This record gives sequence, structure tokens and C-alpha cells, in this order.
Amino acid sequence: MTVGWDRIEPLLAHVERPARYIDSEFCAVHRADASYRAALLYPDTYELGMANQAVAILYDALNAIEGVAAERVFVPAPDMAAAMRSSGTPLFTLESVVPVSSCDMLGITLPYELTCTNVLEALDLAGIPLHAADRGAGHALVIGGGPCSFDPEPLAPFFDAFLIGEGEEAVVEIVAAHRAAMAEGLDRPGVLAALALVPGVYVASLYEPAGNGLPARPRAGTGAPPEVVKRVVRDLDAVRSPACPVVPYMDVVHDRATVEVLRGCTRGCRFCQAGMVYRPVRERTADSIVRDALGQLRCTGQEELSLSSLSTTDHSQIQEVLRRLSTALRGRGVTVGLPSLRVDAFGVAMARLVGEGARGGLTFAPEAGTQRMRDVINKNVTEEDLLTTVQNAFDGGWRRLKLYFMLGLPTETDDDIRGIGSLVSKVLHVAREATPPAQRGGMRIAVSVSTFVPKAHTPFQWEPQLTLEEVRHRQGVLRDSVPRKGVELHWHDAEVSLIEGALARGGRELAPVIEHAWRSGGGFDAWTERFSLARWLEAFAAEGVDPVALASTPREVGAPQPWSHISSGVSESYLALERERALAGESTPDCSFDGCTDCGACPLLGADVVLAGGFRG
Amino acid sequence: MADATFRLRVTYGKTGRLRFLSHLEAAHACERAVRRTGLGYAVTQGFNPRMRIAFGPALPVGSAGLAESYDLWLSRLVPAAEALEMLLAATPVGLAPAEARYVSDKDPSLTAAMTLGEYEVVVEDPDMGPGRLAEALADVVGSGSLTIEHKGAMKVYDLAVCLPEGVQVSEEPGRATVRMVVHMGAWGSLRPEALVREALGRMDASDASVTVTRVALRPVEG
Repeated sequence: MTVGWDRIEPLLAHVERPARYIDSEFCAVHRADASYRAALLYPDTYELGMANQAVAILYDALNAIEGVAAERVFVPAPDMAAAMRSSGTPLFTLESVVPVSSCDMLGITLPYELTCTNVLEALDLAGIPLHAADRGAGHALVIGGGPCSFDPEPLAPFFDAFLIGEGEEAVVEIVAAHRAAMAEGLDRPGVLAALALVPGVYVASLYEPAGNGLPARPRAGTGAPPEVVKRVVRDLDAVRSPACPVVPYMDVVHDRATVEVLRGCTRGCRFCQAGMVYRPVRERTADSIVRDALGQLRCTGQEELSLSSLSTTDHSQIQEVLRRLSTALRGRGVTVGLPSLRVDAFGVAMARLVGEGARGGLTFAPEAGTQRMRDVINKNVTEEDLLTTVQNAFDGGWRRLKLYFMLGLPTETDDDIRGIGSLVSKVLHVAREATPPAQRGGMRIAVSVSTFVPKAHTPFQWEPQLTLEEVRHRQGVLRDSVPRKGVELHWHDAEVSLIEGALARGGRELAPVIEHAWRSGGGFDAWTERFSLARWLEAFAAEGVDPVALASTPREVGAPQPWSHISSGVSESYLALERERALAGESTPDCSFDGCTDCGACPLLGADVVLAGGFRG
Repeated sequence: MADATFRLRVTYGKTGRLRFLSHLEAAHACERAVRRTGLGYAVTQGFNPRMRIAFGPALPVGSAGLAESYDLWLSRLVPAAEALEMLLAATPVGLAPAEARYVSDKDPSLTAAMTLGEYEVVVEDPDMGPGRLAEALADVVGSGSLTIEHKGAMKVYDLAVCLPEGVQVSEEPGRATVRMVVHMGAWGSLRPEALVREALGRMDASDASVTVTRVALRPVEG
């Protein structure tokens, strides 16, 4: 079956933002003669998916293989999905406008729990059976990856396999294994058995779900490993950033050239899943970063460059990188962005280095309002650090500041929340004092407060999440304590957090819930205006699962969890120890500065901390 | 004193799939193409330095253009033919430049100068009877004005002013081509599609497919 542009074009006259569906961007790769076609789906619209680095990296890695074409797929917005359904047009790849179902592989990035209904929407639009068990030899192999694959169970029945961990090397092995299995003429079970032998690949159908929140176990005789250990790229410097990523026409989120400067973060914030599952820290060298950044800007014509990572200003050669870049880019109207800043003088100095004359906004994440609370979460930032940093920034000409906090962290009391209010008041005071009266009108201080959602593979994975009522109470305390004048306060929707929390630590029993939610009209649940708590609660009730119990019941430390057969490298005993330290208010140093803390990742993964400059400090 | 700059006028098309770009998207894509060429472009002075580039009148999403224009200020003089070649290599096919020449910095801006747009509107409808579209259009034009709802507000166009040369229709079975020159000005620009849709609505043929191409832009004098 073909789709072809002729079928798409008439639909575009009647949909919003048709640029989402037209392909033809500069640097899009077209391989008409490929013998293996891999569709890469981001489970949201074009403008969100085009910001995703994983898709860009895998697109590059797959297109580099002889005979392979990687093609992009995004979830059509509801107006386009309706037009496609009524005209009988299946989900298609952007590059060659072929049905996704005709591709050999469909790779799906799983960035966030609430994109799960969009995964089902995409499979349905593609005409691919929702359940892996109903697929046969002629169907695309559906493989998931990304953050949510660290607890793959809620989505397990919908996927043929998951890749746990970093994809750029593993995806090449997966395609090789799949092509070899196809050449041998293996049937579906044969293909899946071959895939299960690729390190880091989890084929859920080869595992017996244990139920009751216990991890799945491999069925006898399948050869599948009892524990699937995540993939890690040991030498990040050997992997080039995409030299010429696709240049979108539309105004997409994060529309800029992006070079990853390091991977992993070992600051050790205890709520942070990314900080645990992307260990160890591996920096790229200044030479590679600058080479890739200038190359990408030259090739794409982008006007903004982002040096991305979980903690860019921790890079041991960051100063050198920024000096070289600002010299090379002077007078070209190109801006350089740092995604997150350390709360110290160094962070501001680095921002100054990239800012030339311009002073955009600065973002800091103290995460909690009191020292006690920051010790619990291992956020090694003091009030003095923050106030000095703010003073520095406003002395240096910045007028816009954004602060991130969390609400509902373990052991939090109303006093800790009031602490956020009083810290923000102090910040406001320091910022005002440092700003000449005539310029105070231009000051903007935004405070963004999210609700803590315990995540798998973190020291807080056993902790209960606040109930909806409690979140609302604490949001009330927060609202009363943050100064009304001069501060913009935003917070995360408590209802969304409840469902996110239930989905984040569940097992296979959630699959029917997700399917129910999608069948009753769910989709784009990550978009606040499309999210419906009532629809989700109805789906949970219909399938006999209690989301509140799942999210808000404390779990026994050391008891197996639905994701216990998936290893991020960090040992369970380390997570338990970190939890104990949290409750005792003890902090744990960052191993990339102060030496090994025995999390277990390096020995298990055969990897090591890599610091381009030899040391951090 | 500011450094010398050289004003290069580039004529380009917005064709094929790229007709679905909005004016801003097309403009942004052209800017990025300029960056990719390595041509030395002038940047604006100010808080947020930007490339000095100015586009002609906007073309809506879905409309193609055969001779759209932008002015680009270069900081280094490069022979126009060479600049054109560099731009051609760096631009997606659907926005390919066709011509580049230097113009005087004293010339009025593209939007001020190019106030006439020549359009070709192709209407396809297998059931369209001969002469009906021409008749319906004559009816609309003859009424003297067209009221269009845009973003919740009603806008009235004086068709004698907007369509200085009237409307011509040529037909073949199931397909008609409407040619018109639209005068754009401070009152806004009449969208040829809106005019044709109004006529189609009157002949009960709202389902017909309508494809709009702006074939040329020119000044009133020309």
C-alpha cells in the first residue's frame, strides 16, 4: 500500500499549520532505494518532536547505515487525524510518504508518561495492531526507548521490544539483528528471540508478568536475560553530534542548533530520575564541541546555539568552550544558550561570557525553600549561594529571573513551603536593591513550582506521592506565602501529577487502563487543555486499578518493584542508602568532583567518569 | 558612521509543498538559507542584533508565488550572479531564488513599492457547468464590494479599488483559471481565494478545489 503526496495535499487545505506535514526541510534525508525503512515516531506533534535530541541523534545514526532509511513520524493534531480517518489515509512517514505500517521498524521515543495515549493513537492511525501479540511477520517491529522505558511495564503489551538506555550504538545492532533475522526468514517469535540477545533490549513477551507489583521474569528456554542492563556509550567523544540536523520551517520548541556537551549528571539530587539513569558523567572535549557547534551552525543556518546537557556549566572545559565560541561567532547575530545554570558566581560568569551585550533571562533551580529540605534532596545549594548569585546577576545587568521549586518532597512540612515564600521574598529584595530605580519596571521574577512525582530508579522510588487534596492544601500555603507583587507564580496541575505518578511506578496492570483512556477519547494528555482527570479516573475504575493507592502508598524499602528487572546500573542498595541519608538530612558529594560514591554504575556498565579537562573543581 | 552596505534584491518562488508555509515561516527559511551561504550580511544595531533583510508583501498559507522578493543588505559586495548561485545552493527547492540584483538604498521598500499582485486562481470541480464561474464572479465584482470575516472582525473591500483590472476567467471542462490583479494597500489586501470562494458559494460549489498562485508583483506605475 502507498500513501503518496497526492493523497496528503488535499487534506492540508483544511487543517491548521500544514507545515507540520510537508517534509522538504533542509537536511531532511530521502532514500528512495533503501532496503530497510525505520520510522521514528515522537508521540506528540511536529513542533514538540522536532525539539527532541534523541530523535535527531537516532535519525542520524540510522541514516548512516548502508541501505537503511530513517524517516520521521509525528502524531497528527486532532484536525489532521480526523481528516486522515475520514479519507482513509493511514499514518505516513514524512520523507517518503509511505504508510508507517509498511516500514520494517517503528521506533517510538517515550519522553513522558502522559504521552502514552498518543502512542496508541499513532499505532491505530497506522493500522498496526495495538497489541504486540496480534502482530505477525508482515508488521513493523515496534520498539520503544527513552526515559519511560526504565519502567516499561505499563506499555509492555503494545511494544515488541524496548531499548533500555542510550540508543546511538544499540540501534545499529538492533537493525543488524533484525535484518539478519529477516534474511533468515525467521517468523515473528524468531525475530523477537534474536532481538532479545542484543544487550539492552527487553522483549516483554518473553517475560512472565508476576503481578502484584513484582518484576517480570524470563520464561524458561527463551534465553532472555533475567535483568536487562541499560546501554551506555562509553566514549561520548567518539560519537559526533548530528552534523546537519533537519531545519524546521515551523516555529518549533527549542528551534536551534544543539550540541550535547556531556551526558550524565552526578550532582545526586535524590528526586531526579535523569541524574540516576544517565550515569556516569561523560564529557566531550572542547575541540569536538566547538567543531560540531560551528559545523552545525554552518550547515543549518540556525541563529541560536544551545550547549545541552543536564549540567552544562559543570563541564570541566566550559570556559574554554564558551571563549572559543564567542570569538568565532562575534558579529554574526548568533546567540549561545546555556540550558541550566549552577547557582554560584561561576554560573553567572559563564552566562556573561555567552551574553555579549544581551541580557536575556537566567534560570536557577534551588528546588526547595529551606536548608533542611535541600539537604533531604541533596541539592547542595545554600540560601547564601542563591542570594549572592542573584546579586551578581542583577549587578551584571540581568533583569529577568526564573526560579524552579518543587512541592510535596518527602518529609516536607508547611514550614518548608513557607520557606519557598520567604526565599523568594529575599531574592526579590536583593534583586530590587541591585537594580537602579529607573530600571525596576523591567524586572521580572518568575517562580515555577512543580509537584514532586516519585520516579523509578531514584532514592525516592519507595516514597508516597501527595494526594490531590494535600497538593491543593500545600499550593494554598504556597500562594499565601509568596509575595504577590513583583513575582509571577506558576504551578503544575495537581491532577496531571496524580496520573503521571500512577503511571510512573506501575506494572503491566496499567496497560488496559491506558488503552481504556485512549479508547474513551484520550490523546495529547500532556497538553493541559486536552487532559481530563475524569476520563482517567473512569479508565482506572473500569479496569479495577486504584491510581491513588498506586501513587500514594508508601512502599517497603528493598521490596521488588515492577521495574526491578531493568537496571540503570545504579544499585538498589545505593538507592536505599541514599534514601536513608535523605531522611537523616545528610548530603552526598558529586563523584565527578569529589571521588566515587559507590553507586555501582561504573563497574556494572564497564564505563567510567570521563572529564575532558582531567578534573572538575 | 555605519559601515557601507549593499542592498541585494532577490526574487524567489514559493512553490510545490512549500506553498503551505506561512509568510513568517517562508521568511525565516530564507534567512537561514542566507546564513548557510556564508555571505557577509549586515546585522541591525541594537539590543538584539538581527540580519538586515526585508520581505515583500505577505503571501498566505497555501498560496504559491512565482516571483516573491526580499531585500538583503550585505556587508561585503559580492557579484550578484555569484550571490545568486550561493543562495541557490543553500535554499530548499520550493523557495529557490531566480534572480538577484543590487538596487539603490534610496529605493522605497518592497512593501511600499510592490502594491500590485498578479494572481492566477485555478478552480477544479468536475460538476462545474460552462460559464457559471465567470457569471458568479461578475456578479460579485458587479456588486461593488465584498465583506469578509477575518479573525472575528468584518472587513469590507471596495472591489473597484482592489481589482483595478477586473477579473478574467478561462475555462476547460471541470477546470477554470481566474486571473486578476489585486491592488494592495493600507486597507489590507483582498485575498483572491476569498473572492473566488464567495463566487463558488453563490453557485453552490463550495467543495471545489482552489489553488492560488501569485505570478508577479509590480509597482502601480509599471
